[in-house]
Amino acid sequence: MHMANELLSVPVAGGTLAIAAAGIGLVCRKAKRFITSEKLALMGILGAFVFAAQMVNFQLPIMPGTSGHMVGAVLLAIILGPHLAAIVISSVVIIQCLIFQDGGLLALGCNIINMALVPSYLGYYLYRGITAGKFNGLRVYIAAMLASLFAIEAGAVLVPIEASLSGVLAVKFSTFLITMLGVHFLVGIVEGLITLAVLAYLQQVRPDVVIDFLPGKVRLSKKAVLITFGVLIVVIGAGFSLLACGLPDGLEWSYAERPDQPDFKKVIVNDNPVIAKVDSLQSRYTPMPDYAPRSLATVENKAGISAGWTSFAGVFGSVLTMAFIWFFAYILRKNQPQKT
Amino acid sequence: MHHAHIDKFAYQDSPVHRLDSRIKFIAVLIFTAVVISLPRTSISILACYAIGPFAILVLGRIPMTFVFKHILVVSPFVLVLALSTPFYDRTPVTAAFGPFIWQSTLGWMRCFAIFGKFIVTMLALIALVSTTRFSDLLAGLQKLGLPKLLTIQLGFLYRYIFVLIDSAHHILQARAGRTLRNLGFKAELKVAAAMLGSLFVRSIDTAEHINMAMQARGFDGNWRTISRLRICGIDYVFIIIFAGFMIGLYFFIRPVLQ
Repeated sequence: MHMANELLSVPVAGGTLAIAAAGIGLVCRKAKRFITSEKLALMGILGAFVFAAQMVNFQLPIMPGTSGHMVGAVLLAIILGPHLAAIVISSVVIIQCLIFQDGGLLALGCNIINMALVPSYLGYYLYRGITAGKFNGLRVYIAAMLASLFAIEAGAVLVPIEASLSGVLAVKFSTFLITMLGVHFLVGIVEGLITLAVLAYLQQVRPDVVIDFLPGKVRLSKKAVLITFGVLIVVIGAGFSLLACGLPDGLEWSYAERPDQPDFKKVIVNDNPVIAKVDSLQSRYTPMPDYAPRSLATVENKAGISAGWTSFAGVFGSVLTMAFIWFFAYILRKNQPQKT
Repeated sequence: MHHAHIDKFAYQDSPVHRLDSRIKFIAVLIFTAVVISLPRTSISILACYAIGPFAILVLGRIPMTFVFKHILVVSPFVLVLALSTPFYDRTPVTAAFGPFIWQSTLGWMRCFAIFGKFIVTMLALIALVSTTRFSDLLAGLQKLGLPKLLTIQLGFLYRYIFVLIDSAHHILQARAGRTLRNLGFKAELKVAAAMLGSLFVRSIDTAEHINMAMQARGFDGNWRTISRLRICGIDYVFIIIFAGFMIGLYFFIRPVLQ
């Protein structure tokens, strides 16, 4: 779910960065009141735990060959409470961006909102709301499942919204949204199951860790798992059939919606004299450096070639400069005594 | 344990390593914003923008094979994104590059642009991370206004990621050694839950030990560093070169290439 820089425009990136910074600042201020220095080490280690936990993968039943892993936001929110979980997961997202280059620097704001802030708070309050103080098996099961599912789906919904606000979507918004929802439905179900299973394990082994939130008995029953997967299969099937109906075929699709090119149909009927005008207008107002619209290129071949040569010169010059820098550094380094 | 070496070049010494971390961070942020806001149709200018991070990487003595291996590792998602554009945008265009002219579609051009931008911005980010120690970066970020709680959290997290990833590796190896056939989903889930649970318990125990050790040494929730953050001569040189590079590209090269 990590967004890349390329999915965002600069204003949206700046806005989400500001929102995320304000959110984290608020959470930190709130957390400062009840946090003690003993909790600091615990939070740091649990962040590292999230990293390690994402490496533990297991086979998924429906699609052989794929494997799922835990995201961890809801588990931490249930055990640590929403504020600390938000801080821990935010720090995980920041490290993923800076050290592992997972998700872009500009997209950091979006990623913090989608994967840290929204899931921790939504997951925690859903879990607390559904269990409502009574922790019997079925209730905890439903609560953990729904909290994980909704927390992950909410983050997934935000991705197409942010991308379409940026205006970078080549795909239709609804298509992207349905795809994201479908994929993350599966992710959410798996997350719910593993969250519940880990809670059950912890309740057996170290009940003191989860004592405030999970005094009852939790067991992963076979029937419940089977029912979950039944519902899952029906919903996914419905989702995919919806997707299939909603999609026009490839050709139609590429012509269907063109807010940027309302005159697209005219290009297909190419013997219209209007085209040249439209195309030249378009090429003047849309920045197209390396290539010209088709009709323009055939009419004014010269212009196309010269544009090609400038771009060629640009790339070639850049490569030459890089080679020069490398060679210069190489010579300098050779003259220096080597340090180990 | 290949993860441990992701920022192994941050501990070298070079003029680029000696730059103030705040200035480097802000420069990378500006650079990324400018590259991302380039029109999606300009491809050749990306090569010009790549000169900047390339120069820093070369000056910092970061081997290019390392950089490109790393870009390759993180590229699958962007590759999917980029390769999906040719299916949705089929406006025919004529592409021209030097002596070659060929028919293509707008989707393919966008695909190349997305991937090119990805590579250039990744180069900048890798140039930042592999020429700056993480502790310096954190100190710089705190000076720039990151909450102290988050800085401490990031410091702890960074210190213990590789420790816990190591123990996760051990657990995974143990499972691989004991699993000889497919056990079915329920058993897999149970095993994974037990692994995660024991990892969780182990992390909590480690945290307790660390906490005791730090309390014994007088940790009171404040992170004390020998701060060496100071903007000096080399930083001004970097600022001038960076500003010249960006302004020059924007006002002189960009109009020519478009």
